[in-house]
Amino acid sequence: MPPSANSDYRILNSINGGFVVLDQDARVTTWNAWMATASGISADDARRKTLSELFPGADLRRVMLAVQSALATNTSTIITHALNPSLFPLLTRSQRTLLHDVTVSPIEDGRGLECLIHITDVTMATRREKYLREQQNARYDAVVESAPDVILTIDEEGVVQLANPAAAAQFGFSAADLVGRSAASLFDSKDAWAEVWRQAIAEDAIAQQREVTARRKDGTISYLEASGSRWSSGSRIFVTVILRDINERRAAEVALRRSEGNARAAAQALAELNLTLEQRVKDRTDQLMKAEEALRQGQKMEAIGQLTGGIAHDFNNLLQGITGALNLLQKRIAAGRISETERFITGAVESAQRAAALTHRLLAFSRQQPIDPRPVDENNLIASVEELLRRTIGETIQLRFAPAADLWLVRCDANQLENAVLNLSINARDAMPTGGVLTIETSNQTLSSSDAKAWDVKPGDYVMLRVKDTGAGMPREVQARAFDPFFTTKAIGKGTGLGLSMIYGFVRQSEGAVRIFSEVGKGSSIEICLPRFHGDLEVASSAQDDGDNRTEKGEVVLVVEDEAVVRLLVVEVLKELGYYPLEAVDGASALRILGSSQRIDLLITDLGLPDINGRAVADEALTRRKNLPVLFMTGYAAQAAGDAFLADGMEIITKPFTMEVLAARVRDIIATVPARTGARTRSAGSQIL
Amino acid sequence: MNSPSTLLNALELDALTELVNLGVSNAALSLREMVREEVVLTVPKVAVLGRDEAISILAKNENKRLVAVHQVFEGDITGRALLIFPEARSLELVRAVVGGELPLEEIMELEQEALAETGNVLLNGCLGTIANNLERSLKISLPEVIHGQGEEFFSLNPPPQAGDSVLFIYINFAVRHRDIEGYIAMLLDMPSLETLKVMVSNYIRRIAGEQAITSNAP
Repeated sequence: MPPSANSDYRILNSINGGFVVLDQDARVTTWNAWMATASGISADDARRKTLSELFPGADLRRVMLAVQSALATNTSTIITHALNPSLFPLLTRSQRTLLHDVTVSPIEDGRGLECLIHITDVTMATRREKYLREQQNARYDAVVESAPDVILTIDEEGVVQLANPAAAAQFGFSAADLVGRSAASLFDSKDAWAEVWRQAIAEDAIAQQREVTARRKDGTISYLEASGSRWSSGSRIFVTVILRDINERRAAEVALRRSEGNARAAAQALAELNLTLEQRVKDRTDQLMKAEEALRQGQKMEAIGQLTGGIAHDFNNLLQGITGALNLLQKRIAAGRISETERFITGAVESAQRAAALTHRLLAFSRQQPIDPRPVDENNLIASVEELLRRTIGETIQLRFAPAADLWLVRCDANQLENAVLNLSINARDAMPTGGVLTIETSNQTLSSSDAKAWDVKPGDYVMLRVKDTGAGMPREVQARAFDPFFTTKAIGKGTGLGLSMIYGFVRQSEGAVRIFSEVGKGSSIEICLPRFHGDLEVASSAQDDGDNRTEKGEVVLVVEDEAVVRLLVVEVLKELGYYPLEAVDGASALRILGSSQRIDLLITDLGLPDINGRAVADEALTRRKNLPVLFMTGYAAQAAGDAFLADGMEIITKPFTMEVLAARVRDIIATVPARTGARTRSAGSQIL
Repeated sequence: MNSPSTLLNALELDALTELVNLGVSNAALSLREMVREEVVLTVPKVAVLGRDEAISILAKNENKRLVAVHQVFEGDITGRALLIFPEARSLELVRAVVGGELPLEEIMELEQEALAETGNVLLNGCLGTIANNLERSLKISLPEVIHGQGEEFFSLNPPPQAGDSVLFIYINFAVRHRDIEGYIAMLLDMPSLETLKVMVSNYIRRIAGEQAITSNAP
């Protein structure tokens, strides 16, 4: 050792710390006593060597860098044990590892740059720190590391500085990934988180827990309850936040809300359904009725087709009967065999009558038949068809007739009423295939306003006609439709379904009503009420009366008819009756006769003439022959109805008519001629409506 | 009083910037040795500012609390060097340097040492290289870690004279996927700055030759 530095060296060797000086080649020039003890290398052994030579195997890179820096650029460097746990291999006096810090500084002492290395023993301090830290860690670990809740420590800037294992599990990031992240970036519910943060930073105590929504690394949502508190370390402020997992609780709440929502929605749907139910029922019903109507229409068309076919068939037969009989008659007469002609004539007439009846019914059905209302005694009427009834209903069914005494009169078309009774009886018979009782009753009844309402007529006096059977009865649905045209419960061919509808039409036209009273298994009662007629029943010749058709006065009757057969027949009848007939084939020729001075007591003319309408002929005739009675003939009854058509002195008869009817009408007209004053008077049996 | 910006012209500032970059890259090498990881240091900007201006720049940072590693240098130029960055980032820096998944407490414990050593290496790198290239020797002290605000840093004893200028270096520190921005501030009194100016022009002359000087004659 250089002697001049003796005092320096004494100090150097007393100092509690290592002092090493290196020359510019980084070789040891000074090695103090402390260093010798700690390293186990004497000063003499150390001198002139590099540190690497003295401590092979030690990691002295940082030290050497610092040495270079000191020698080259005059810089001082500090190398701490904390960051560099193993530098020099040094031992304490008790042979334990000596923990040390190192500083490297330049020295300039006139001899050039040298480097001073100062080594400080930090063993005690380090151990104490280590102990404290372990203590702290133990306490800390017990709570934080094992806590089920997320614990985050966040610095003032909002950056996560610490995350416990629960945090890693919750967020899906490793604890290391979480550290350094902005805490706010972990949460979806930015406002809720901001509030937690604000409260924690501002106050020391935990305020209230708030719900926050976090987003995990995999993107899924997690519901947490947050509470935070602030603490400081030195000048630093931290916030520790504890987050509790409430996902299960949330899920339960959501499920409950959802089921409540479902229940509410179901109730609402039900209420709506109820509201619309009526409407939908109505709509459906409308639909059904339309469909029914369409079906009925179709059925009707079909029925009409059947009907017209049937009618044509019937007519053919009847015509056949007529023409056949006439043919044979012709032959017989030609052969001079007059004795057998009666049979054929009867046959032909019967056929014609049946045909007339059929046409009559059809026209009545189509409501184009001008009804011929007269005062009628229903009891008489029923009595007159009793024979026919008995024959029609057969022997298995008992017929009871219960007429009321002093029955009021009614005013109606007798023919139609007869037909009604016949029809109802036939229906009753069909309802009792194994026999039963058919009762026909009549009675007087005064209908109060409430009764009349039930019947759908005006209050007043009425005559009731009841046709009762002990048959199968009608169910409600059948009753409801019984009066519908073409409605029938009978098999095809057994009924056209027109009967009851015709009765309905006739009765209504007569200002009456018809009702069905029936119960399945108990039988039916069809009841007709017709208004009482307050006038007298004048005993008049019925249409069937054969007697007294002749007249003795030889009146002149002009017959205008383009159809030869009809004209022929009419003329024959007139001759039979003792009148003097004149004929005209058309309007023009008729007018010629009418324009002449020929006496004419009655004009009988067809309405539908080829050239001029029969009415026009009559009008023209009346201009010259003011009181000339006129009898119109018509096969098409459409024009028949209505007073407006017929003026005074004009009457009408519809084809087909029997000769008796014609004769009766002619007689009546001519008989009343002198009584006529120009205004129409009513005479028995010839009323026109 | 001359405004600082006129004391160093554009060329001189460029030259100084170059020197700083050189120093910083040397520091990066040393740091790499320390952290055993890739370290990238970049210097986006170098400026010469007045003290007040420097303070206001530091105060712009919303978090006004700063931490600094402080070293003193003496020699032909005398002054202080400070590595400054926001206190909130200091723990980031520590983590970057020590690596691993140390718990917060340990990080905080190591903070002082880590900052000291890191700052030490960085400042040594800068100052040492600058001094070396300017062919001057400076005596540079050991580092000290201080917390505070800009004003405090620039009012350390002995108090600076009015009009003292600050060589303000913006520095970016990237290691272990962590990016930390800070500043190095060298506080120089007027005479030292003038001396620095001379040193820099000599350096320029030395490197660029006569032409650069004549074309930039003030």
